[in-house]
Amino acid sequence: MELTVNEKRLLLILQKHTSADAEVLADELAADPGSVVQWAHLAAGRDLVRIMRDVRERYHLTEEGELYAQEGLPERQVIESIDGEIPMGELSRHPLAKVAIGWMRKYGWIRIEGGIAKKAASIPETDDERALRAIASGEDETPGIGDLKSRGLVAISEEVRWNISITPKGDEIVRKGLDLRPEIGTLTREQILSGSWRDESLRRYSLATPPRRIYPGKIHPYRRILDEVRTLLLEMGFSEFSGDIVQSAFWNFDALFQPQDHPAREMQDTFYLDVTSPLPDGWEKIRDMHEHGGATSSTGWGGRWNPEKARASVLRTHSTALSIQYLAAHPEPPVKAFSLSRVYRRESIDPTHLAEFEQLEGIVMDNDVTFNNLLGFLKEFYHRMGFSDVRFRPAYFPYTEPSVEPEVWVDGLGWVELGGAGIFREEVTAPFGITQPVLAWGLGISRVAMLRLGLSDLRQLYKSDIDWVRSTPSYRRS
Amino acid sequence: MAIITLNYEYLERLCRTDRETILAAIPMIGSDIERLEEDHADVEFFPDRTDLYSVEGVARAMRGFLGIETGLPDYPVGESGITFSIDPGLVGIRPCLGSAVIRGLSFDEASIESLMALQEALHWAIGRGRSKVAIGVHDLSTVTPPFRYIASPRDRRFVPLDETREMTMEEMLTDHPKGRMFAGLVADFDRFPLIVDAEDAVLSFPPIINGELTRITEETTDILLDVTGTDERAVEKTVSIICTALAEAGGRIESVTIDGVCCPSLAPVERTIDADACARLLGIPVTRDSIIPLLEKMRFGAEPLKGSSVRVTVPCYRADIMHDWDIFEDVAIAWGFNHFSGDLPPTFTIGKADPAMELARIVSEVAIGLGYTEVMPFTLTNERVSYEYMQRPVSDRALRVLHPISLENTMLRTDLLPALLEILSANKHRELPQRIFAVGDVNDHTLTYQKVAGAATHPGADFSEVYATIDALLRECARETSIAPSEDPAFLPGRQGAICIGSEVVGSFGELHPDVILAFDLEHPVIGFELDLRSFL
Repeated sequence: MELTVNEKRLLLILQKHTSADAEVLADELAADPGSVVQWAHLAAGRDLVRIMRDVRERYHLTEEGELYAQEGLPERQVIESIDGEIPMGELSRHPLAKVAIGWMRKYGWIRIEGGIAKKAASIPETDDERALRAIASGEDETPGIGDLKSRGLVAISEEVRWNISITPKGDEIVRKGLDLRPEIGTLTREQILSGSWRDESLRRYSLATPPRRIYPGKIHPYRRILDEVRTLLLEMGFSEFSGDIVQSAFWNFDALFQPQDHPAREMQDTFYLDVTSPLPDGWEKIRDMHEHGGATSSTGWGGRWNPEKARASVLRTHSTALSIQYLAAHPEPPVKAFSLSRVYRRESIDPTHLAEFEQLEGIVMDNDVTFNNLLGFLKEFYHRMGFSDVRFRPAYFPYTEPSVEPEVWVDGLGWVELGGAGIFREEVTAPFGITQPVLAWGLGISRVAMLRLGLSDLRQLYKSDIDWVRSTPSYRRS
Repeated sequence: MAIITLNYEYLERLCRTDRETILAAIPMIGSDIERLEEDHADVEFFPDRTDLYSVEGVARAMRGFLGIETGLPDYPVGESGITFSIDPGLVGIRPCLGSAVIRGLSFDEASIESLMALQEALHWAIGRGRSKVAIGVHDLSTVTPPFRYIASPRDRRFVPLDETREMTMEEMLTDHPKGRMFAGLVADFDRFPLIVDAEDAVLSFPPIINGELTRITEETTDILLDVTGTDERAVEKTVSIICTALAEAGGRIESVTIDGVCCPSLAPVERTIDADACARLLGIPVTRDSIIPLLEKMRFGAEPLKGSSVRVTVPCYRADIMHDWDIFEDVAIAWGFNHFSGDLPPTFTIGKADPAMELARIVSEVAIGLGYTEVMPFTLTNERVSYEYMQRPVSDRALRVLHPISLENTMLRTDLLPALLEILSANKHRELPQRIFAVGDVNDHTLTYQKVAGAATHPGADFSEVYATIDALLRECARETSIAPSEDPAFLPGRQGAICIGSEVVGSFGELHPDVILAFDLEHPVIGFELDLRSFL
């Protein structure tokens, strides 16, 4: 059992007294009674002392009571001012008359006859006067106290007294001897080198006292999820790519066979910039594809394709704009690549829509890869992301055919649509000389983060409330 | 988004099966059930499948998918003997016209609603807000053929739909709600498109509004359809989709002769596909013969040819079949997306990280070691935060977006530090010290590259701390750098430095100027640093 120095000092004093009030002990220990009670509680927890809490009611005089204790109660002061008899009219002019007359009549000190007050022969001391005298002199229980209270001359206060007594166990410990040397907190270099620490009393710290809170520098909780996805794809043999935020409409839309009058291309959905971008060599193949399907079995969209529209610059609306450029630069199979990039949509910002968010985009290009492989890959990917139930629904995207929307089961939410996928249309790949199928999928990873972090507002990912970052654990066993 | 209301009773009657069976299968042909109500379901269909924008079209597809009625639907076209002429003056305005007569219909309030809903969905998906295609349906009994599609003077008067008085066409563009909505499509033309009958009565002012005269009522049995537009193919598809939907509803289709050409044809389009190519793309064991029932389930006609070839007849209402793979997708849908075995791709590759991302991760690790916590601010910002609060001149490398969504997001960030100060400001009442950093994209005009920046605030934050911090970060990046005096107004004079590689400045650090601290509504001293990561790659 490790006692604090203060507990030890308390026990030593107590052994002398066996039992004493905290105030007495405080005097002897040169401490305040509150501290003594605190130390006593520590020792009581170890069964070394016993604490008795005694609450007593104490009477004390009110301000008015104090005054009367010195000058006499109003009835006494008034009666003494009367000599034999006095007309009531005159009596009532005494400043204390209002209070005094009632009492004097009650005690039979005066009799009123024909408007004249006549004083009794003897005026004995009343209970109220005796009680007032007793309380003023510090005595406790007094008969007649009830009247003084109702007269507002006496009030009651509670007085808590702590009586502390040593237990046999405490007594035994003191008998065995107590070490009263001051305790050492932080060790010094000298104490360690000299070994003098052995002669010191080293403080043992209480584990019940919580430590000071400090916060480590750490990865953002959302980055942790992005890193997890990135690692997962690298493990699966994918290469990472990135690119410019500003893209030509050519790469963002036209190269992906998005018709030039497609609603997603309009100003209200896409951020345009006051900059034009050059068209890459071979842009005519894209024009032909749009107008009549080029050399493929496609009919194309028909109409005229306008190169000026393709030269406009936009903030990339999807990372597919980067995927197609990566493919154009790596037309030889096999290709397995991914990017985790911010994409931009001209959306009004609310809890579930942001103007910018992360998108994961992956492509697999090889001889003989199939739609069946795509579904297999998606299943594997979502399993690794922690979603065990995955199902597929037909979907539509302008640049993939067939297209599919994977859905995952989330307890409490049901089937949640999570991204889109498909095989790049031949209209997309043929102009770049790619003859193998390209499996492609995209995923708004911020939605996954929302599910995983239990957020109801997407903005929280980017606003970074420091308390939220600090209180989100870096690792949680899955 | 096209959300189609499917009335259960009507749908059950058309599908010849119960609603539970239909609703269970509907997502598997490619749709999203938005709401299930007492008597109807609201279902979203994709913009490529415009043939599913009516209850009749959905029922036709579902009968096939559920095996109730498969193969190519047949839509006989009779002759109405009605003719239409197109005024050559419409070239350059709205030259294309399609038309048909549909007889023997019976309308009630609900079926009129349904026809209007189909028109609206087609106006959106094919019509591109009526610019490419606009549709009018008219009670045939109210007008007298032949009809003329003309380029009319702008002051021609007639009573538009939902009005009781005559107005000029010009007035309609300013005074009629539909006119105001679509005025932009015609306002610049000297003459306006107009459809009139033999007695010069007005049927329609496309693409703005029909005449009140030909309004469809519950007494209407025969209708005249007009579809005008700027794209021949889009007009033709729209006519086919509406005619076949009304034929499914019990109408008889009759042709109209437009300048000697018979319309509509409703003839299917033939395509020859290779079943082996389909099997290779989808990764399922379909053959020339086994693919045929799958195609028929999707309402294609199909007959085997030589080898692995199959002749596919594509119904006229399918606007989405541009390429063989569009047919292959339907084979996959008929096969059932959830019946695929889902084998992983056999492709063997070795993954490789992007060096810029690797550097970002390593720099982050060092920053964390220095006690900094990562934040991930937005890349869209504004000049006030980027330059005004920072007391820095506006950069001519900043790219502004043309139509910002709010004053907060007007440009792509050129620096990270202002975003960090914004985050410190938002966390003003959180426990100090606060040390935060970000690694992320910034833009130099159209070029995107990465920077790292850090900021810290606490009562003891000072130049010595930030100098020591950036010095540690630079030592970890093992690249010869030097520190030069700088005069960045964001920092206090004499309490800042520039990080240089050779003579090129690649970063800055210092104690933030008290005016900057106050501009961000902060109170304690703030230190910051920022470094271009390109030079370390």
